[in-house]
Amino acid sequence: MKNALYLAWKSLLWQRGRSLTILLSLAITIWLPVTVRLVLDQFRREISERANATPLVLGAKGSRIDLALHALYFDTLPPADTNMAEVESIDNLSTANAAAYAIPLHVRYRTQSRPGIEGAVIVGTSPEYFEFRRLKVAEGQTISLLGDCVVGSNVATKMQLHPGDSILSAPRNAFNLAGDYPLKMKVVGVMAQSHSPDDDAVFTDVRTTWVIDGIGHGHQELNPQTDSQLLLKNDTGTGSVTANAAVLPYTEITEDNIDSFHFHGEPASFPLTAILIVPETEKSRTQILGRYSSSLATAQCLKPPEVIEELLSIVFRIEQLAWVCSIAAGVVTCLLLGLVVNLSMRLRESEMQTMFRLGCSRTTIAMLHGSEILLLLCSASVLAGVAALLTLQFAASVLRSLLF
Amino acid sequence: MIAINQLTFSYRDGTFRLRIPVLTLESGRSAVIVGPSGSGKTTFLNLIAGILPSSGGEIRVGHTDVHRLTDNDRRLFRLLNVGQVFQDFQLIDYLNVLDNVLLPCRIHPSVTVTKTLRERASLLLQSVEMSSFERRSVTCLSQGERQRVAICRALLLSPQVVLADEPTGNLDPVNAERIVRLLRTETRRSGATLIMVTHDHSLLPQFDQIIPFEQFLERTAAAKNDPQVAEGDT
Repeated sequence: MKNALYLAWKSLLWQRGRSLTILLSLAITIWLPVTVRLVLDQFRREISERANATPLVLGAKGSRIDLALHALYFDTLPPADTNMAEVESIDNLSTANAAAYAIPLHVRYRTQSRPGIEGAVIVGTSPEYFEFRRLKVAEGQTISLLGDCVVGSNVATKMQLHPGDSILSAPRNAFNLAGDYPLKMKVVGVMAQSHSPDDDAVFTDVRTTWVIDGIGHGHQELNPQTDSQLLLKNDTGTGSVTANAAVLPYTEITEDNIDSFHFHGEPASFPLTAILIVPETEKSRTQILGRYSSSLATAQCLKPPEVIEELLSIVFRIEQLAWVCSIAAGVVTCLLLGLVVNLSMRLRESEMQTMFRLGCSRTTIAMLHGSEILLLLCSASVLAGVAALLTLQFAASVLRSLLF
Repeated sequence: MIAINQLTFSYRDGTFRLRIPVLTLESGRSAVIVGPSGSGKTTFLNLIAGILPSSGGEIRVGHTDVHRLTDNDRRLFRLLNVGQVFQDFQLIDYLNVLDNVLLPCRIHPSVTVTKTLRERASLLLQSVEMSSFERRSVTCLSQGERQRVAICRALLLSPQVVLADEPTGNLDPVNAERIVRLLRTETRRSGATLIMVTHDHSLLPQFDQIIPFEQFLERTAAAKNDPQVAEGDT
């Protein structure tokens, strides 16, 4: 076998062009289905892992897939908001027998883009989120004050952010002059890499996102006597004043102005885009699901693994299509390979005649041909394997970014 | 020893018929076959090597009756016992000079390429002044150089019989002389029988036995009317 392999290797080297063409054709034929399989497996594993690690998601009624993708991957906006009242309602449910806690999510804004760098999603949440997702701070500290933010590892790398830097939120609508102002947030920490969508997010306290939303704000203190030109109304009876639009809100929360920040409205009505619910017992889980299963319920509660399974069934269909294409490509390549081998055998007929005349057995002649095919197949498999692994390094994140 | 008894051979079209009643060639001796083109010299070598099956009679090489062997056994017999120098050399283009000489080992079921065999191959190449060409592709060689490589390949495994079909056909008189001497020396050393076909009558005195081959050819009426058969080597 060693001699047959040696002769086959020499023959392949002699016909480099032909060998390389066959090698590449075979490698691509093997690479395609292997890569599709590996990438989809990785994608399925990643997407399922995060879904399985998220017991329940609460949000406004509407598309289940949109809500699940929003709560898990901060992608797609749910058609409507839910509010803090639902968080309080879950917290109130917590008793000794039905313990659960809710993690608010307000994911509506992004940071401002930089040349060539797209803005990152701003996730307003509570400290429980970091514990729940087991996120660690690699550099700096966690959020402690209004206006603080911690950035995911990918965001920090792309935007070259470090603790002490600042980052601006982007207004949702450039034409909404009376709406949200960009808020300058202070980066207090950088998260460790988690290989999840959390790496591409900027985390801040949910109250900070309400400030971006315009629900909370801070501005200079108004003195009814000296700042009369800034007042629309001065109710001396109640002592309350109404400022006009000339009073600009602060666009940065600092130690000096933090005390001036306040929120307007009922806290229970403050908007959230989704709520993660972590029931601590099966009973509380069932209780929460039952509560939101009614058609009269104001919100929907869903089990992410189920929703993601629905989504994956679509991916499976795509995978099947890819398999069919790969099989077709494989058949064509095999036919072409057969043709090439056949033509090659004809070209090498005189060589085989020499082998016969020297006394080469039929088995050895078959081994000479077989060794060539074996060498080509092995080399193509190795090449395809390496290419598949390299593709896997990049494709999973590309695929995720394409889908979500 | 090669012993031939009542050997007959004919091609299917019936245009050519070879008949050798009795012929004996002793081990360690050399024989030269002479005769006009188409007299069956190459066919005779192919019959001894077992490349062609005979129509009848017996060819005994040592203790082996070649034509009683199966195809696979004939191949093995050839590989183990017969060294051949073909008219058109039949070297393998994708192998270099040394690998071409070592080819019988590469296709041998039990022989492996050892250091000793490599050294023997180098020594043979040296004896035909080809040692500086060891790593060169055979496609870059002249006809004479290719001829010498083919001879080295035939002698590598010290076969029992060496069959050389016009090995000096492309060589100048000096090199032709040298090649015949090499073949004679090597076969004598290993006790092998050398059978060589040549048209060069100046080389005949170097051989122990001269076989004029025309005597064995029986031409049919069809062949006599076919000028192509009469001209070409068979």
